[in-house]
Amino acid sequence: MPTLISIEGDKAVAADDVFAFVADEDPIPASGDIIVTLARFQSEGDGLLAAGRRVGVRLQPSEDVEALAYDLPRIALIELAFPKFRDGRPYSAARLLRERLSYGGQVRAVGDVLREQAQFMLRCGFDAFIPSDGSGPEEWKAATRRYRHVYQRGADHRPPIYAERAGAASPVKEEFEHGL
Amino acid sequence: MYRYDAYDKAMLTDRSNEFRHQVARRLAGEITEDQFKPLRLMNGLYLQLHAYMLRVAIPYGTLSTRQLRRLAWVAKTYDKGYGHFTTRTNLQLHWIKLRDAPDVMDALAEVDLHAIQTSGNCIRNVTADPYAGATADEVDDPRVWAEVIRQWSTFHPEFSYLPRKFKIAVTASAKDRTAARSYDIGLQLRRGRDGALGFEVMVGGGQGRSPFLAKTVRESLPAGWLLSYLEAIIRVYNRHGRRDNIHKARIKILVNSLGVEEFTRQVEAEWAKIDSATSDLPDTELARIRGAFHPNTFQTLPPVSHAFEAALADPDFARFARRNVHPHKIPGYAIVDVSLKAPGQTPGDCSSEQMEAIADLADQYSFGEVRVNYTQNLVLPHVKLDDLPALHAALKAVDLASANIDLITDIIACPGLDYCSLANARAIPVAQAIAQRFADPERAEAIGELKVKISGCINACGHHHLGNIGILGVDKKGEEFYQISLGGSGDNDATLAEILGPAVHFSKVPDAVETLVDTYLSQRQGGERFLDTLRRTGLTPFKEALYADAD
Amino acid sequence: MKVLTANSLTTGEVVFWSRGRWALDFSDGERFADDAVADAALAAAESQPRVVVAPYLIDVEEAAGHWIPVSYRERIRALGPTNTPQHGKQADGHADVQALAAATSAARSSGRVKLIKR
Repeated sequence: MPTLISIEGDKAVAADDVFAFVADEDPIPASGDIIVTLARFQSEGDGLLAAGRRVGVRLQPSEDVEALAYDLPRIALIELAFPKFRDGRPYSAARLLRERLSYGGQVRAVGDVLREQAQFMLRCGFDAFIPSDGSGPEEWKAATRRYRHVYQRGADHRPPIYAERAGAASPVKEEFEHGL
Repeated sequence: MYRYDAYDKAMLTDRSNEFRHQVARRLAGEITEDQFKPLRLMNGLYLQLHAYMLRVAIPYGTLSTRQLRRLAWVAKTYDKGYGHFTTRTNLQLHWIKLRDAPDVMDALAEVDLHAIQTSGNCIRNVTADPYAGATADEVDDPRVWAEVIRQWSTFHPEFSYLPRKFKIAVTASAKDRTAARSYDIGLQLRRGRDGALGFEVMVGGGQGRSPFLAKTVRESLPAGWLLSYLEAIIRVYNRHGRRDNIHKARIKILVNSLGVEEFTRQVEAEWAKIDSATSDLPDTELARIRGAFHPNTFQTLPPVSHAFEAALADPDFARFARRNVHPHKIPGYAIVDVSLKAPGQTPGDCSSEQMEAIADLADQYSFGEVRVNYTQNLVLPHVKLDDLPALHAALKAVDLASANIDLITDIIACPGLDYCSLANARAIPVAQAIAQRFADPERAEAIGELKVKISGCINACGHHHLGNIGILGVDKKGEEFYQISLGGSGDNDATLAEILGPAVHFSKVPDAVETLVDTYLSQRQGGERFLDTLRRTGLTPFKEALYADAD
Repeated sequence: MKVLTANSLTTGEVVFWSRGRWALDFSDGERFADDAVADAALAAAESQPRVVVAPYLIDVEEAAGHWIPVSYRERIRALGPTNTPQHGKQADGHADVQALAAATSAARSSGRVKLIKR
């Protein structure tokens, strides 16, 4: 059973996944938090939300996050699917969700999700992952700590090196005791 | 040149550590080859025909002598005592062992070298004018901007899984020495009438299976907005580039299918939404990077050097001065090309001993600086004319004084089927055979500028689409045949070569080239180069000459 | 007739399956006349991810008393790069190397399809 890993502040924890993904052809369960596809949300979303449950939307890489712009305040979480780990579109989608659309709910990576991508995903604004490589929270935490500094701004608000240089308040960090 | 500070060095150290652990996990069987392959590719480590190949990045083709000596040492210690300079100004080591690769990375990181993003579907090494900082005709040092882009693109979290590789070139001179229009993004720096720096932004160039020349998306972008504009372009590409077919995945395909107007509209719309304050570099940081490229302390010298003039009495030196020496912006100095194309040698190969020799000469005569040209030659950018005779003699002693820049023996060739698992045919022996046929320096000079470029497969790493004579190796019923194209150019007048006719057998290529040269010589008017004559006459006389005896 | 080849994981060197071990010399490569046996050897090699990378079967044929890879690419893999005779296995210089190098013209002039690749 793949673990849902959630990033909370400085920690990576194994979380219980209370959301159920409901495929387009399946009936919506009577109660409980659900995740549906974009197409289903666009046709049934109002009704689903009115039922007082939490609703998440799963986006495929070819689906634009802008399609959800007006509904974001009502959407509990967004799942960005990786059919293949090398499909880089969800990274842009996550960044736009955070930085342009100011989305505050959970942004979750699902599909072909490998811990080697942990730091990139975190920097683009993902805060939850269902890995496909069997890795757990410890490994994800370690993977996000491989690089002490970053060169460019991201959705994670880490100061880029040029800001650290200018600030002079944070000198180069000591090398990490390397994790996984 | 730019010196890595503690932050820059920390990035390399962290990368080496990460790689070491990834290799260890692979060797221990904790990750599969399928999981490991993209990781090793992002560190420039390929599995080729005979061994692993490591592609070391040489950012914007600039090396300190300390770095060059370390490359010589790595080649001697972990490889077979030589390296291969590529058409992307990187250095390839063709005989690396996986178990040594982490140690090699550490050794490189100690001198601020790395193999970061020299493979994979990410932003690759940014190239710049090899004469940057030395040529009179530049409006700015393009390496400043190449370093800006290098930092911004390194471990970029959003753009590390693009549809395909992404290559950027920066030039700041009226004469383009980077082949910028064959790049995914070519950036041409100019100054406006008010003196302000701006980029002409060209997008969608590329060679390979479907060659294209880049189209202008923005005539003049104020330089301070470079990173936000790149972000817009690459985000549009990341979101909309094709991912269904590896041969249709470069940005050139997207630009061509949308059309440049629609592509530009999408880029401008995206750019309008990007906050420059977040995405562009603060002026202070730009000034800091710019400051690293401050000019050397040149001597005040007369423009004419008596030592240089006197040495011209030696015909060898005179030829070297004609072919390999170029004007410098400072009077009394020169830019010197070091040819890695001695006839019979593998184009672009350089032994550890030669690297050491060049490092010594660069320390003595060129302010400790060496450049790599995409033509697979090296450059000593700041040499006193007074020192040229001694430099020439020293280069001669290590077989590095071939006076053949841009001549028929200055051939670009990819490693080809001798090394590369992608190849269909060999490229190096074809280059060797042609160069040996025309090895007589007087004959080569009498022919004049003639750029021969040879690729062993459709991926065009040998730039055959841009050759005055472009040669593409193909597999025809199990034999090596070579398709000949004419009229390509990577200069400002960028042109894609046109196929001449049926492919020619490996054994017949030098004869074919000789026929083409003879045709040119018989048609040449005035001081026409091969390319000029060809443009005037068209392909017909060349086609007729080459295929006349086809029956 | 087939031979099983791969690259060594740790060194990247070209290797050939030879009755229970991976050999560096093409001439030591075990030849499979039976495709089922060859496929079984390939499957076994694929289950050795800590030893070799990318194992695959190549076609070989006999010419002038020596066995050689049919494909020109595989001859280069077995010998070394043609531009630098002192690099690669060809530098070892024994009789089979010479036969391999000499065989270059023999099989290629037959003009069979797909000779460059495996």
